[in-house]
Amino acid sequence: MKQKLTSSVQIILLLALTAVGLMGQSYPGKPKIIRCHSLEKETFSCWWKPGSDGGLPTNYTLFYSKDSEEKIYECPDYKTSGPNSCYFDKNHTNPWTTYNITVMATNEIGSNSSDPQYVDVTSIVQPDAPVNLTLEIKTSASITNLWAKWSPPPIADVRSNSHVYNYELRLKTEGMEEWETISVGVQTQYKVIRVQRGVKYVVQVRCMLDLGKWSEWSSERRIQIPKGQSPPEKPTIIKCRSPEKETFTCWWKPASDGGYPITHTLLYSKEGEEQVYECPDYRTAGPNSCYFDRKHTSFWTIYNITVKATNEMGSNVSDPHYVDVTYIVQPDPPVNISLELKKSVNRKPYLILTWSPPPLADVRSGWLTLEYELRLKLQEGEEWETVFVGQQTQYKMFSLNTGKTYIIQIHCKPDHHGSWSEWSPEKYIQIPTEYRVKDMVVWIVVGVLSSFICLIMSWIMILKGYRMVAFILPPVPGPKITGIDKHLLQRGKSEELLSALGCHGFPPTSDCEELLVEYLEVEDSEEQQLMPSRDHGHASKNIKMIPKETDSDSGRGSCDSPSLLSEKCKGSRARTLPSTLQTQGVRNVQENKGGKGSCEILCLTSEHRIIPVNNENPRSSTWPPAQLPNNQHPMFAYHSTVDAHTITLSATNMNIAPVLVGNEENHQPQYPITETVHDNLENRGEMENFHSKTDQTTVQVKQNRPNDQSPFLNPRLMDYVEVHKVRQDVDPAVLLKCKENSGQNEKYTVPGTSKEYTKVSTVVDHNILVLMPDAHNQQASVPQEPAVETPQNVQQSEAETDMSYIATAPSEMNREDNGSDYMDPSSFMPPFK
Amino acid sequence: GMLTPNGKEYTQKIPREELTHLILRLLQAWKEPLSHFNHHIEHHRELPDDSLSKAKQISNMVPELKTGVEKVTEKARSMGIIIDSLNGTASSEAAGLPISNEANMMSDSDFIHCFRRDSNKVQSYLKILKCRIMPENSC
Repeated sequence: MKQKLTSSVQIILLLALTAVGLMGQSYPGKPKIIRCHSLEKETFSCWWKPGSDGGLPTNYTLFYSKDSEEKIYECPDYKTSGPNSCYFDKNHTNPWTTYNITVMATNEIGSNSSDPQYVDVTSIVQPDAPVNLTLEIKTSASITNLWAKWSPPPIADVRSNSHVYNYELRLKTEGMEEWETISVGVQTQYKVIRVQRGVKYVVQVRCMLDLGKWSEWSSERRIQIPKGQSPPEKPTIIKCRSPEKETFTCWWKPASDGGYPITHTLLYSKEGEEQVYECPDYRTAGPNSCYFDRKHTSFWTIYNITVKATNEMGSNVSDPHYVDVTYIVQPDPPVNISLELKKSVNRKPYLILTWSPPPLADVRSGWLTLEYELRLKLQEGEEWETVFVGQQTQYKMFSLNTGKTYIIQIHCKPDHHGSWSEWSPEKYIQIPTEYRVKDMVVWIVVGVLSSFICLIMSWIMILKGYRMVAFILPPVPGPKITGIDKHLLQRGKSEELLSALGCHGFPPTSDCEELLVEYLEVEDSEEQQLMPSRDHGHASKNIKMIPKETDSDSGRGSCDSPSLLSEKCKGSRARTLPSTLQTQGVRNVQENKGGKGSCEILCLTSEHRIIPVNNENPRSSTWPPAQLPNNQHPMFAYHSTVDAHTITLSATNMNIAPVLVGNEENHQPQYPITETVHDNLENRGEMENFHSKTDQTTVQVKQNRPNDQSPFLNPRLMDYVEVHKVRQDVDPAVLLKCKENSGQNEKYTVPGTSKEYTKVSTVVDHNILVLMPDAHNQQASVPQEPAVETPQNVQQSEAETDMSYIATAPSEMNREDNGSDYMDPSSFMPPFK
Repeated sequence: GMLTPNGKEYTQKIPREELTHLILRLLQAWKEPLSHFNHHIEHHRELPDDSLSKAKQISNMVPELKTGVEKVTEKARSMGIIIDSLNGTASSEAAGLPISNEANMMSDSDFIHCFRRDSNKVQSYLKILKCRIMPENSC
């Protein structure tokens, strides 16, 4: 209740006041004494803070009383200490009294007084802070000290200097929080020991009178303590060198920096002398060096050299270095390195490397003698090869890899007492590659020639291939029967030809069919004898063939044809034997063909069956087997497959004569295969058994004969009878000797009597002439093969030529033509009718 | 001691004859000390044999060298290259080398050091002399 009442009263009062305030005028607020203090105990001042002025000008008055006295005094001085202050000067200040001070604020409306303030002068004494604080660093003997100096606070009243202040200093390093407070005393300076280097310090100072309070701290002062404050370390002398044995230079390594700039001095003394000199020239040779020129260089004396480093803190001296100039010579590298390529006597190239000594070295007077050494390596190589050259300034290099690049360096040294110079800059050398023109030319020529030769060889091979093969493997030469007129053959008229051959009435007419023909087969056992004269290769085959046949034949003996043959046949005659060469038999047959109508030697048809043999290109030709009628085909495999000669039928090309002649001339083992044959036959359209390979191959006519030997080999049919004589004149007939009738041959029914054969029924197998006895002469039922059959057979096979030999050699007839194996069939055959 | 030129210029300034004499004098001066030295070190057991033989070999070289120089000088004199104005005989001063029979004033290493230096002097003088007398000979 009370609270509520008081609060409500306060609210009312506030409202009244604000009402009054709003109205703008009221009595002043209560001032407040802020502070009273005395600087030096003899005077003091008080300050107050005024309250609100109430909107009206306000006066402030200060009243005080001393101790417990009743008298109230007013402030003697309002101005000295500034506004709202009261200054009590000396006269009014009594340090041992207590003042009771109040301030009253007065305005038109009313007044207000502050609370009383009891002031004891002694307790309010507080001097100002000291001023002019300075800091200084002093280092002595490598110890750094910090000096702080200041001045006492200023006093208005100068005359009273008797104040003794007591000071206090505090410092701290920047960044730290805690101050180190040092009691200084009454001095106005202080030396701070134990100062860390490289640290910034903050210093403040304050003072106090003998009574009272401490003043405020003065403003801060900061200072940086420098680092490294020490004398330098010991320098060292690195080396001394003379480039030309006339001057020399010494270099040293400077001492570490002690925080201050360092200067170096070089001092030297000579052997035997006491005096110490300083370096004459610090500059010429660069920093940290000393250059001794000619005047200051003495040889054969020892120099004692030292270097001294000095800085603000102190100095230091290096160790002594003893030098005798004669032994410290190190020249510069050689210069003017040049290369020259030269050719020696035997055309081998070599390099001459020349150089000159370094420019400073005086080699000419002999004062300095240099020795050289060079090193070289391949550009892509790894190891250097070092060569000591001596005192000469050139070097010859042999046996270098041509085309490669070398790197060369040279250095030199005095011949005695010195050290090697630096290597000269790298010199690159390219060895030129030697094109030996001679070698190239030789190789080129060789290459061209060989290629040329190869070309020629291959061309020859291509063109003359046949001939080469023929040269290597010669065929059996053909028959050398001549006698047929080439032109006749060429003309191609069979009748004329046949008439020339002496065959009249050829082909045989049908008369022959009626006749029983006794087959006589003439043995060609001469083959064995005559073989050596011929190609063995071919004959061997014949031989092979023969034994088969002869085995079957038992009719040998006195009637053997060999004996007869041996008598009759000579030389060229032998050729006519069927045993020898089939070609001859062909020719024989062919000869017989031409113009001899009576002869039936050939089982060839007349006109279109004449077989030309190409004369120009003798090639292999195969003899076609004489194709006999199949049923009565005594097969004699006389022909050899190898050298069978093809004689093909051709109507257009009648070259029989040339064949006969030509073959002999050429005597080629291989007869030309006629391409014309091929054509002609094709024209015919009947090429049953004709296999032709053009060009170089032998036309091998299919030979029935060898294939089917067996069925046709009828031993019965084969009967060899020796020719008794050949009768030419009246009734040309071949008289055969009697033949022993072995009884095997049924057909021979007339034993002992000689038989006359005037007709050739057929030609078997190139060398067997199947003779027919004349019908009216004999009555022997000699089975005769109808001659008609043969032409038919022959007709059937165009391609196959039937050539057979007359085994017998009608020598009498043909003796006239010795040069040619010509048999005139007309001599032993009556003309056919 | 002997006064010897201490540098190239001094050496080149000296006339040839004087240089020749100087060389000869140097060589002469070292004869005796070397022989003394040889005798001295022979008694030293601690030295290896190589050093002893080498020392002896070098000691023998010096008189030979002197003889050679004398011969060359004679030849040069005869050819007129050198005009002998001084007395050719080498003085027996043995100057410059504090060797005495009584005591070795010098230690062995010092002795060797001095010898090395003087031999280098002789060599340099000879080379300069050579190039002055016969400049075409690789000078």
